[in-house]
Amino acid sequence: MKLRPAEIKAFERMRPGVITIQGFLGNDIRPPEEIIAEDEAEFARLGLDFETVASGLEKLRAAGERGLGEPITLGKFLVQTGDARGMLPCPYNDGLFHKNAVSVRAADQSPESCVEGEDMLVFSDLSIHLLRVHHFCQGRGSPFRLEPELLKKMAVSE
Amino acid sequence: MSPILVGPLTVAGISTFLALVIAILDKFLNNYGQLKISINGGKKELTVKGGSALLGTLGAEGIFVPSACGGRGSCGACKCKVITDVGPHLPTEMPYMSPRDIEDNIRLACQIKVRKDLAIELPEELFSIKKFKTRVESIKDLTYDIKEILLSIDGQTIEFQAGQYVQLVVPPYGDMTESAQRAYSMSSRPGDTKHVELLVRLVPGGIATTWVHKFLKEGDMVEVVGPFGEFRIHDTPASMICVAGGSGMAPFKSMLNHMHETGAFPEKEIWYFFGARTTKDMFYLDEMAALSASWPRFHFVPALSEPKPEENWKGEVGLITDVLDRYLQGNVDRAKGLEGYLCGSPGMINACINVMKRNGLTEDKIYFDKFA
Repeated sequence: MKLRPAEIKAFERMRPGVITIQGFLGNDIRPPEEIIAEDEAEFARLGLDFETVASGLEKLRAAGERGLGEPITLGKFLVQTGDARGMLPCPYNDGLFHKNAVSVRAADQSPESCVEGEDMLVFSDLSIHLLRVHHFCQGRGSPFRLEPELLKKMAVSE
Repeated sequence: MSPILVGPLTVAGISTFLALVIAILDKFLNNYGQLKISINGGKKELTVKGGSALLGTLGAEGIFVPSACGGRGSCGACKCKVITDVGPHLPTEMPYMSPRDIEDNIRLACQIKVRKDLAIELPEELFSIKKFKTRVESIKDLTYDIKEILLSIDGQTIEFQAGQYVQLVVPPYGDMTESAQRAYSMSSRPGDTKHVELLVRLVPGGIATTWVHKFLKEGDMVEVVGPFGEFRIHDTPASMICVAGGSGMAPFKSMLNHMHETGAFPEKEIWYFFGARTTKDMFYLDEMAALSASWPRFHFVPALSEPKPEENWKGEVGLITDVLDRYLQGNVDRAKGLEGYLCGSPGMINACINVMKRNGLTEDKIYFDKFA
């Protein structure tokens, strides 16, 4: 696949230490374009579309905000929205996003037993934008990786 | 020589030559030599090596401007006034600048490079900020996601006011290859100058909180920089209306213990509203109950937003903003005036400000450090 210069630049900015210390690629050895292509295929297999999932994540974030930093019950899930000072630019350079972290887990599961990315969904405003506009779920091992299976379970069913 | 090796060796040779040329050019073109930074009209004069960001250059000279993102321009905390013309504001600075900031030449110290002599203005209190080497004396679980960390300072003492914060220096760990700093309010008493106590809540995906919760051990060496912040008790007779949730408890623990221990601000009545979801998220209940039993002017109001029937919770129920609203309308004596003191995420602080304003508090009497 031939990459456009803007994509090459964006992928550079996803590396650790450029926009965030951890970067967006985790310990995934696949190049970003391959991560995107494989997640697009996985979305298609699961019958998901990026816009619907992004809107679902926004609803979860808004519900969590009502807890004022404490977790809040939303149906069968517990949602917690925490925000921090400052903003993060998108690696594709098409927006600035408020720093926050939203976590979603099953309400009946003890927090101690939750594993981020496996049974706890963790995302930010920037993650929602990357998903909606760039179809980028982040690399495996990234703290904000959005696993399509988990998205189907948590961001679409509510 | 084997022809197979000629190609790779030629490429390696050219690359080495180009790298050498770049290194030599960099040495001459980017060599700004020794430059002067004049702070606050010459009250402090620094001679520094030019070429680096102002934030790091000041840090190397022992002047620590607050920063929560390690100089990436993503927190907006390192604002300072640059009197020398260093060119227009950069796109990376603009999201953090108000029209007034731009007019006043306020810049982000992490985005400005020291390429000529500079005159800048900094708050005087930054001159007394130090880096402290500490040892982790104890780590206690307060809830499943909040830890109390007691740090013992090595060979120095820390002077601070209750309510101020330090920046915890997080060393590289796991896959992380560089250090980070994050701000935490001190929960220790100002009278204990040999310790810094912090309350750290685990934030999913959080660099510092993950390190504290999953990597930090008793006996480890840890650096903190501080004290920072304007959040402190105001010397007036007005009653304090304090609101927090989770690790936002930290500055209030410090303030309350300081006032109780020293008898400071004797005219102040103190109301402390503390919110959590269930009893599993609540902590220091016994300590706060003991404090309020022995201190008539202190009123502690814990509230749960989603108590379970089996918890048999006898206290207030509802979001902390709703509980605050009810008390401000009925229980709190306004005779000596009211002041708001808040600690929490920006969202929580905004919600509390709205409730307080609706109940007659003016914004200039509501105090907080909005750093989450």
